[in-house]
Amino acid sequence: MFSTPISRAAFITSRAAKSSVSRLFLRAQSTNALNQAQLPFTFSQTGPKTVRFTTQHEWIAAHADGSAFIGITKYAADALGDATYVELPDVDTELEAGDSFGSVESVKSASEIYSPVAGTVVEVNESLSESPQLINSDPAGEGWIVKVKINDEADLQSEELLSLEQYEAHLKEDH
Amino acid sequence: MLSQLYYRPVHRLWANPYFRPQRLYSAVSNKVPFELDETDDKYSEFNNFYSELFTSKDEPTGACGQHSELNSKSELDELNEELGSMYSIDVLSSAELEKKVKANGRFVFRSTSTNPYFNLALEDYVFRNTPLTENKTGNERILFYTNDKCVVIGKNQNPWKEIFMKNVGRRGYRFVRRHSGGGAVVHDLGNVNYSYLTSRESFRREFFNQQLVQWLDNEDISLNNRGDLTYKDHKISGSAFKIAKGKAYHHGTMLIDSDLAQFKGLLKPDVVPGVTWTCNSVESVRSKVTNIGREALTSIDHFCSLITDQFRALVDDPEIPMLYCDESSSLPEISEAARVLESKEWNFMSGPKFELTCEGVSLKIEKGIIVESDLPELLGSPFYEFYDNLEENDGKFKSLL
Repeated sequence: MFSTPISRAAFITSRAAKSSVSRLFLRAQSTNALNQAQLPFTFSQTGPKTVRFTTQHEWIAAHADGSAFIGITKYAADALGDATYVELPDVDTELEAGDSFGSVESVKSASEIYSPVAGTVVEVNESLSESPQLINSDPAGEGWIVKVKINDEADLQSEELLSLEQYEAHLKEDH
Repeated sequence: MLSQLYYRPVHRLWANPYFRPQRLYSAVSNKVPFELDETDDKYSEFNNFYSELFTSKDEPTGACGQHSELNSKSELDELNEELGSMYSIDVLSSAELEKKVKANGRFVFRSTSTNPYFNLALEDYVFRNTPLTENKTGNERILFYTNDKCVVIGKNQNPWKEIFMKNVGRRGYRFVRRHSGGGAVVHDLGNVNYSYLTSRESFRREFFNQQLVQWLDNEDISLNNRGDLTYKDHKISGSAFKIAKGKAYHHGTMLIDSDLAQFKGLLKPDVVPGVTWTCNSVESVRSKVTNIGREALTSIDHFCSLITDQFRALVDDPEIPMLYCDESSSLPEISEAARVLESKEWNFMSGPKFELTCEGVSLKIEKGIIVESDLPELLGSPFYEFYDNLEENDGKFKSLL
């Protein structure tokens, strides 16, 4: 009467479903690379000096003048679903590497965003207040979140920051 | 021989979801849903027998009479100790709580506190301090807690647009802004909150509610198109999610025997005539709610034990412990987080900006401060102060209340 039905079949099915969804993601997404037609790229005539990724699915595009744009990757945006609100930091907020500086809400999920480097917020993408869906339509371009002044550019050489190839490889490993 | 004789029925009792330590009922709901004697007939004999035999301080007689004094005493002492540890709730100490949370492994937590700020702070503590394993599985955790009367909004909502704040205060509900996303909900002692914590990699939004539907196993219970549980097409549970530091949690409400009539007049409808709001904050989706049917779930305890047993079966680990904590288990970090959750700064001074127009008066609010206004005397003051000062029968701003 009080024994509990064991339903492992459903668990296994849902796991199988998950891995096929993840594979579909990888195939379907165009790329996690920066959009070369938008500000995070065109800020410098020749494009950013360095583009890096985190395992928490942020990208950072650092320019020659010591400033850098930060956003979330296409992979993360796809996984989150339709963004309904983007919480932005105040300009002049000082960040340590790994600090949370805002969040993206989508379908009842609040997802924190972390700074890949130490720096000071010099600009936030105000258009996300009106149009949070830019996070989905162009996460590595028009949907950039903040621009920071990097404290020490050596941070960009940290082993924790991945190249595009390393990031894509990391996605394949984990998902 | 003797211990075997006693062990078998004890385990069967323990498997009975209705047979739980009484202290829990009083701590969580202040209601004992049934008397010990009223449990299933099959077990009532055992229940009474064991409670009489082992919970009283009197020397047991009868059952052990034929055994030698020495043997029966030492074996009885042993049994009493074991039974004592099973039937009284050991609340974790602060040190034990910290150790458990920071170590690898799955477990189930139940908070017997009904303070919403403490419970959310505890949940956040467990979430932040759960380690990540190499393969991203194995550290799944489930929390259960019940909050006394409160309205809870999502992190990115506008409290003034969502909540009849005057009613909340007058009726003794507390206001809570949680860390996760989503819309506004009402809690009371008839509601139980569950929280399923896992790694970001293995997190799937739909997973836990799909499991719940399967585990509750009732033809009237299903998922709606927003992924929420319904009973006879009325919502019984609302969900919200949080993703941070490589981990994620799904927490949700489950209405068991809430006083739903009292919920009326706490959450605002989509439109209140007389006020225009301009804001990008997250909107609540209004739904008709109901308590889950008695034939599906009888009590909060029933829910917790059912889900715990099913979780053990799902991951094929019958040893997953059920741990209890309350405010005496708190750590400085948790108490501080609870204080922040209760603060005006968190609740009213750090949410989304908004503008409103009411009876020809416009206000613009950023970080809780009135930054633009047709009434210059309001500039620079917190919006909550302006609201607090409005009388219930205020002629001009009545529709703002």
